[in-house]
Amino acid sequence: MSVKAFDLVPAVEREQVMGEKVRINIECIECCGQHLYLGTNDCFIHHFLLEEHTTAKGKLAFNAQKLLHKYLGLKKPVVELKAASALERLIVLCDSAITVVDMVTLEPVPTGGAKLKGVTAFCINENPVTGDAFCVEMAVVLARRRAVQICTVHEDRVQMLKEVTTPEQPCALSLDGYNICLALSTQYMILNYSTGASQDLFPYDCEERKPIVKRIGREEFLLAAPGGLGMFANAEGISQRAPVSWSENVIAAAVCFPYVVALDEGFVTVHSMLDQQLKQTLSFRDGQLLQDFEGKVVVASSKAVYMLVPLPLERQIQDLLASHRVEEALTLTEAAQRNIPKEKYQILHRRILQQAGFIQFGQLQFLEAKEHFRKGQLDVRELISLYPLLLPASSSFTRCHPPLHEFADLNHLTQGDQEKVQRFKRFLISYLHEVRSSDIANGFHEDVDTALLKLYAETSHESLLDLLASENACLLADSAPWLEKHHKYYALGLLYHYNGQDAAALQMWVKIVNGDLQDSTRPDLFEYVVDFLSFCSNLDLVWRHADWALQKDQKIGVQIFTKRPTSEERRGQLNADDVITYLQKHSQALLLYLEHLVLEKKLQKEKYHTHLAVLYAEKVLGLISRPSTSEEQLSAARQKLQRLLKESNLYRVQLLLGKIQDSELLLLERATLHGKLEEHDKALHVLVHQLKDSSAAEEYCSWASASQDSSYRQNLFHQLLSVYLDPDVPGGAQTVAAVDLLNRHAEVFDAVRVLKLLPEDWSLPLLRPFLCGAMRATVHARCTSQVALGLARAQNLQLLHDRLKYRGGPVLVSEKKGCQLCHNTFSEPDCACLPGGTPVHINCVAKKALDLPHENAHHSNHT
Amino acid sequence: MRQATRTKKPDVKVVILGDMNVGKTSLLHRYTERKFKDTISTVGGAFFLKQWGPYNISIWDTAGREQFHGLGSMYCRGAAAVILTYDVTNWQSLAELENRFLSLTDTANADCIFALVGNKADLTDPFAQEPDSESESDPQPVASCPTPPASPVQHKQVSREDAVALYARVLRYKGLDEKTCLPAERMCFETSAKTGYNVDALFETLFDLVLPSILKKRSEGEATVDLETPLEVRRTKAGCCA
Repeated sequence: MSVKAFDLVPAVEREQVMGEKVRINIECIECCGQHLYLGTNDCFIHHFLLEEHTTAKGKLAFNAQKLLHKYLGLKKPVVELKAASALERLIVLCDSAITVVDMVTLEPVPTGGAKLKGVTAFCINENPVTGDAFCVEMAVVLARRRAVQICTVHEDRVQMLKEVTTPEQPCALSLDGYNICLALSTQYMILNYSTGASQDLFPYDCEERKPIVKRIGREEFLLAAPGGLGMFANAEGISQRAPVSWSENVIAAAVCFPYVVALDEGFVTVHSMLDQQLKQTLSFRDGQLLQDFEGKVVVASSKAVYMLVPLPLERQIQDLLASHRVEEALTLTEAAQRNIPKEKYQILHRRILQQAGFIQFGQLQFLEAKEHFRKGQLDVRELISLYPLLLPASSSFTRCHPPLHEFADLNHLTQGDQEKVQRFKRFLISYLHEVRSSDIANGFHEDVDTALLKLYAETSHESLLDLLASENACLLADSAPWLEKHHKYYALGLLYHYNGQDAAALQMWVKIVNGDLQDSTRPDLFEYVVDFLSFCSNLDLVWRHADWALQKDQKIGVQIFTKRPTSEERRGQLNADDVITYLQKHSQALLLYLEHLVLEKKLQKEKYHTHLAVLYAEKVLGLISRPSTSEEQLSAARQKLQRLLKESNLYRVQLLLGKIQDSELLLLERATLHGKLEEHDKALHVLVHQLKDSSAAEEYCSWASASQDSSYRQNLFHQLLSVYLDPDVPGGAQTVAAVDLLNRHAEVFDAVRVLKLLPEDWSLPLLRPFLCGAMRATVHARCTSQVALGLARAQNLQLLHDRLKYRGGPVLVSEKKGCQLCHNTFSEPDCACLPGGTPVHINCVAKKALDLPHENAHHSNHT
Repeated sequence: MRQATRTKKPDVKVVILGDMNVGKTSLLHRYTERKFKDTISTVGGAFFLKQWGPYNISIWDTAGREQFHGLGSMYCRGAAAVILTYDVTNWQSLAELENRFLSLTDTANADCIFALVGNKADLTDPFAQEPDSESESDPQPVASCPTPPASPVQHKQVSREDAVALYARVLRYKGLDEKTCLPAERMCFETSAKTGYNVDALFETLFDLVLPSILKKRSEGEATVDLETPLEVRRTKAGCCA
């Protein structure tokens, strides 16, 4: 299918030109605005006024009104007509002579300047080099002189400026600035008449066909080349556009950007200058003339004149798109940039890019489509709307009008091919993912995110959870049913959570954990829910679901309370007493929670410490009473209890004592409790005589005196020694334990008190380590004291020496040195001495004393 | 021939010359489209705009037939590199390079780079018969295959030594000193447009070599008019007559 660039519209019918004469032929055409001039072979110039109008069918039509025709009186064909509209002049080439006629009256205008005879061709310079607006430059080919003359046409004269010689006789020419493009008899060339430089282009054979030389733009020409080519050349003789492929019989060529129009014996062909492709072919028989005038193309047979009316570029672009010729449409759009205002062009360009994208989208060329959508700044909803049910129900989007594409929806596109459907969906996922990561959603975040969620859910895409866990604008009302439909219950919970509906989220997740709903997305969902509740600031939800969690797994469920962040606002704070009350029926969780409060958070409240201690004790007692308890279990439980009893100072000791006093096994714990009450005699009695554990007793003494001073510690160890040596207890004194105690902790004991306590009949070797240590300590103390004494005595001696040193030296009295008070010299050896050893007269001191009676003067007399 | 979508002004020009039917268009098509196509003869010429990093390189494909001979000068004018193409199974195509095509390069740049390319190497060289791994494999119609499968290779009429000798003569014709120019071993290629053998190496070697020409042109700051840029055209004709 050929895309139309031009419409062929009749302009001047044959009857209007020739009337009844059958041998009149049109030789040349000139068009200036609405004015059309025809030169005929019988030496007439016809003047028509062309008026455009639109027919009832919406097509453009011309009405040619004949204004005038004029006989030039030369009986020769009119070869060429060129309008000089600024001068209101028409330049005529007839009978090898150039004349100038008035555009309105067609009367000859006398030209006082050069007489131009022997002319074979001429052209107007459309890129003039002079600045005169009322002057037209032209180049004239003179016969038999191998030269081109550069002339200027004024209102009342023609003036020759320069004559340029050529290597051969030119056949055709065109002019742009100083550049003349010539067709000689055997080759084309470009000649600069200002510098004289010339550049050969390529050879051709003028015997084979008529040359064509046409200026098509600033410093660019179009030439007919061998092989039916239309060659482009610039002023430097370089070809920067690929040639267009014409037929061998091209008669004339014209340019109406961006097209090259060529006329041969039976057709008019239209090629694009941009990609050199043939765009359109029109049948046109007996063609003779083809010329372009300011955006119009006029084609004429020998009898009638037609206009090639360019279709609007937008229409041409749309036709190309309708033929799915995307690259050509885009190329044409970009070429149109020069002809359209910037704002309008940008709108057009974006629309064309969007349409091109949809064409490629329909052809499954997704990479290209995506690029064009991006450049065209496509409203992403246009694309989403093709996929059924993806746009939110609340969306007010309606498709662009006129439409960007011909597709109804995805089903129309794929015709039931499921593999294609999947490819289209994968593309949309990829595209939407890019759109939301870049910032070109332009406020349609809800549409993008909702559609993306639906696609992810439908295809079980791994990014569904990432979407819901990150910032998103998925609409709840549309997304929730979709997730349910595709059994994405966990994701549905995430969606509820993101929309601030934690109750619904938890309800969904609980059903999954309970097995009411099937969703294996997250195997650790129970742990996730517990973690979620531990961060939840909605306390109603926490209380509502805590029971469920604790029933399922107390150890994990209690984390709802134990893992709550501590820097919460007041709103999310849980009252510990409420939690404890609540956890009464979940003993394991309660224990864990109290451990959290006491051991982790280190709360300093008696009730918590007491409660935890009681629970520990009850647990131990329970384990004791159960035959199946393993030794490891009991040992671990007792260690916990013992550690708490020792480290805490806040529990109620009497209460604990009451709990465990009936047990014969918890002797160590009982001793610790007595220690808390500072009933050390009872504690030691329990440890020594009931538990019979000397190590425990010694450890008890160390522990009980850890935060006390050394005398307290000494007393405690002496008390233990007394318990060991008590002869009244059953079994008698424990000599071995006592000796071991003395030998191991010798430094604690006061040796004198120990010796008084010990029985008389103990042998000395038993106590040798203890006594040696004691003696060594005593001797050491004595030596240290003697050293201290010596040091003190030495210091005293040093001080005495310093005192004698500063006692005073001789005071010199001289006749040369005067008194400090009266500044007179001394005449008598008697003097007084001020503090510091300064001599003054005795009388001066007396005067000073009278003036200052409270000043203490130091007096001494040295002779 | 698919044309460049974005009509940008090229930074440099590369021209492919050679006798008809040596495979110039197929060579360019293999490089730009990664495919081999049995094509009809090129009419006149065409060019392809190749983006090479930040530069645009126009590659001009010409018609080798006699009737288009005169156009070669215009195509070569201002060229930075010329690829002289022959058929390794056709001695005459090498001779024509010297007899007919060498004079066309007079209009090229003074520092123009020349490459000699012997195409259709798959017909004479077993190593060139397998498609390159990076090229797409096309189903080959049997009718279009000049050699039946597994047949012995054709007789090679143009050896590499012949090409090297011609390269030396080209340098002498241009008045260039062999020692200052690129060595023949680097500038003589044997390719197969059908299999893709050595095609990328040819073009990319040339593109690397024309890079100094591009940089020099840019540093000179030539005042060149961009034909694609819209300009306000001064009009001498009024819109209407008084």
